[in-house]
Amino acid sequence: MANVKLHKVGKVYEGPGGSQVRAVEAVDLAIADGEFCVLVGPSGCGKSTTLRMIAGLEEISEGTLEIDGARVNDLPAKDRDIAFVFQNYALYPHLTVAQNIAFGLETRRAHRSALVAALSGAGAARGEESAKIDARVAEVSRTLGLDALLARFPRELSGGQRQRVAVGRAIARDPKVFLFDEPLSNLDARLRIETRTELRMLHRRLRATIVYVTHDQEEAMTLADRLVVMHKGKVQQNAGPQECYERPANRFVAGFIGTPPMNIVDGRLANGAFGANGVHAPMPTRVSDRACALGFRPDRVRLAAPNSAGSVAATIAAVERLGDRTDIALDSAWGRIVARIDADLATGAREGDAVGFTFDAAHAHLFEAGECGARISV
Amino acid sequence: MKRSPLANAILWFVLIMGTAAFVFPLWWMTVVSLETPERAGAAITGSGGVVLVPPSPQFHNYLDAIRETGSKPWMGFVDALANSIVVTVLVVLGTVISSSLVGYAFARLRFRGSRALFLVMLGTMMLPGQVTMIPLFLVFRQFGWIDTLMPLVVPAFFGNAFFIFMYRQFIAQIPESLVEAARVDGLGHLAIWWRIVLPLCRPVTAICAVFTFIGTWNDFLAPLIYLHSDEKSTLAVALNGFKNQYGGLDDVHLLMALSVLTMIPCIVLFIAAQKTFVEGLARGAVKG
Repeated sequence: MANVKLHKVGKVYEGPGGSQVRAVEAVDLAIADGEFCVLVGPSGCGKSTTLRMIAGLEEISEGTLEIDGARVNDLPAKDRDIAFVFQNYALYPHLTVAQNIAFGLETRRAHRSALVAALSGAGAARGEESAKIDARVAEVSRTLGLDALLARFPRELSGGQRQRVAVGRAIARDPKVFLFDEPLSNLDARLRIETRTELRMLHRRLRATIVYVTHDQEEAMTLADRLVVMHKGKVQQNAGPQECYERPANRFVAGFIGTPPMNIVDGRLANGAFGANGVHAPMPTRVSDRACALGFRPDRVRLAAPNSAGSVAATIAAVERLGDRTDIALDSAWGRIVARIDADLATGAREGDAVGFTFDAAHAHLFEAGECGARISV
Repeated sequence: MKRSPLANAILWFVLIMGTAAFVFPLWWMTVVSLETPERAGAAITGSGGVVLVPPSPQFHNYLDAIRETGSKPWMGFVDALANSIVVTVLVVLGTVISSSLVGYAFARLRFRGSRALFLVMLGTMMLPGQVTMIPLFLVFRQFGWIDTLMPLVVPAFFGNAFFIFMYRQFIAQIPESLVEAARVDGLGHLAIWWRIVLPLCRPVTAICAVFTFIGTWNDFLAPLIYLHSDEKSTLAVALNGFKNQYGGLDDVHLLMALSVLTMIPCIVLFIAAQKTFVEGLARGAVKG
């Protein structure tokens, strides 16, 4: 196992007509030995490119990449001792499950065995190595519950089984770093959640260093020791998942992490109140008068009687009952606000009703204006 | 969809007529190969009428044909057969290896000028063989390769534009992630080609191998140009030996018998490889 360090890593593509497209910009990242690091962001944010640069499948345009303290920028993928799990699994279709899992081991053996064969009795060394590989394949397939499938071809497997074979192929080699590129996105919702848990458990057992890419913020939150939120090629926040949720570093992270997303309203702070479009609500803060964005999570919103003191008037646009909770979409002068409240408190809510809402100012966030406006400490 | 009986009848009639048109020459060749010399001679001048079943099949014609091939009894046939096999096997191997390798490069390697090179290569397909025949002959004469099998075999190892194109198109459809997985697993380009790409290209390889086999096995012109001595000739050229010095035919029945024998490997190979033609092995590579 190993640590991975990215220092000002960037990727520049040559566009048509000599133009340059910057896909990844100055990414600084230190992933500790045994850490589960998740890169998350909307599509096109540069997370996959970053992962592929770590793998050596994509050249690094600028900056330095270190694995275990050694600079590996110019090392080809095969010499970085990493394993890569692809979104479409990339199992070799002409090989059985067992051969797929053993493939990486055998190519590595082929490199060494020329020397081994020259020095010792070729046959004996070869037999011994083969036995080792067989044992390793058996061990891995037991871990992942693939024993019964070893003789099958990838086309004879279900999506979930293929996914497990892909993971098996990665762990068979016992690499320094595991790289996962959206490995669950081809599975159906239920299987995705099951496999997520399995991956988490596998990580704990292997104590492996994992870099994992996903666009699914929920998957990211549940898996990560360290969450790296990316947008437009830049790291927006690099912290633990709980910290990203509770103290988003900027407006983008605030809107991206959490379901349903945080309510964010552009407006102005003045005299201990936040106002937007002529409607004000109390917001105790040390921050002086300024334009900013106010953010509060749906579960920090309370419904109130229409026109009650300190509330914002709204009408109910939609009611989504989830069983124990109910999501209520509200139309107000502050735009569309989503409230998530206990089902018990929402039994009377009807679409079209006039209501008011308040938010929990102690758990509200303030951001500078703009798409990626930085957090303002309250 | 259900067709009316009349439409069905018309369809069957057309199909049967088409089949007959294609099968008749083969059938007739087989019939003539089993006739006596007199009746065979009459058959090709048309004076005997068209016979669809020989009245008394002369199966010994086949042994006679083998004995009479070339100038040495029995050995002439053995030489021609051996030459044909050597040339065909080497040409098929050379074409498959070189075409798939070049096709892989065009499909997967990005290098300066690859598009231009690809277009030039496609352009060579437009050159008729007659244009390059004489220059090629002069080049091979310089090499001292006349009356050796080299001019027939060596060019195959430098690729075939059409098959390179076919391989390129097929390889371009193999998911990039398979190649990347192989790179992570420690393979270089040559190993990726040999261990991943070539096995996945089986349908193309089958087409390439069968067409090359048939084309080479039946090739008459190239061996006729480059080979002079009897013991170097291939089967296709040996057939020509049944013509007499005036260009006429004395032993039509033997010529036809040897023709039938010569065709057998092609037919067997075609039937054997037919299934692979339509097989799409890349299924199951990725989630599908």
